[in-house]
Amino acid sequence: MRKLLQLVFGDVRNIISVALAIALAYMAQRWIPAAAGWILVGAIIVAGFWQAV
Amino acid sequence: MNATQWGGMSAIFLASAVEWVEAFTIVLAVALSIGWKRAVSAALAALVVVAALVAVTGVGLTVVKADINRIRAVIGVFLLLFGLRWYVKAIRRYAGRTALHDEAREFSETREHLAHAEAHVAWLVAFKGVLLEGLEVWLLVVALGRTLSYAQASGSALVALLAVIVVGLMLRAPLTRVPENTLKFTVACALLAFGSFWSVGGLLGEHTVWPLGDVTLLPLFAVYAVSGRLIGLKLRLSAADTAEGSRA
Repeated sequence: MRKLLQLVFGDVRNIISVALAIALAYMAQRWIPAAAGWILVGAIIVAGFWQAV
Repeated sequence: MNATQWGGMSAIFLASAVEWVEAFTIVLAVALSIGWKRAVSAALAALVVVAALVAVTGVGLTVVKADINRIRAVIGVFLLLFGLRWYVKAIRRYAGRTALHDEAREFSETREHLAHAEAHVAWLVAFKGVLLEGLEVWLLVVALGRTLSYAQASGSALVALLAVIVVGLMLRAPLTRVPENTLKFTVACALLAFGSFWSVGGLLGEHTVWPLGDVTLLPLFAVYAVSGRLIGLKLRLSAADTAEGSRA
């Protein structure tokens, strides 16, 4: 079961990465709505780098 | 048929073709990793669900209209989680950082279980992708088809689906010659592009976050692909520097 959940959601770093990226986009939407999506993309790329190192 | 009807049918054809192309991209991506048979079964299952919803239009339409953004957000987050894992794996392979003997050991321990579970998750990705796009096509049919009969409106959407399938099948053979890690990396970039688009689009409002609409998917894919390759290159170079330093 744990393995299956890991396959769906990944490890803790993966979940934290996606959660943080969405939280950042959510916060950014208050000030610069049109940039919120690209902030999510930037955060996901940084997370990719962080996890790949 | 008059000009208004032709116009309505063309609009539905084009708009639903865009949605079907998106659905097909996901099915194609999944098919490259778990095989066509399973990916197509996921797509068919999703289409059956959409068809069942269409059959009870009155009730279902209200539900879908109210919840389409929530559905988008949930599926988007799921794709981000799944896509990011594949993205990292592919980058590590490009960078030469994934120790192959570790993978082989892990695989020998839980090979069948992993293969089965991963295929199951990939099946779900294809199912949810097609389900969401199918629901969007259905909303289009209802929204744009007011000047048409139900048969004309849904017929246009079906013709668009067939056209996309034919073009997609023509692309199938050349894709089998692409190296495996490149395919997985491409799949990851596609999943991240859709995941980014749907997750924040569903949560914060698609028109606010992505003012250009569906066209944004292409730059999203490109940004993920270029960044991923650059990260892979950077990691490979720093690994080479470290190895050289320890030799000297």
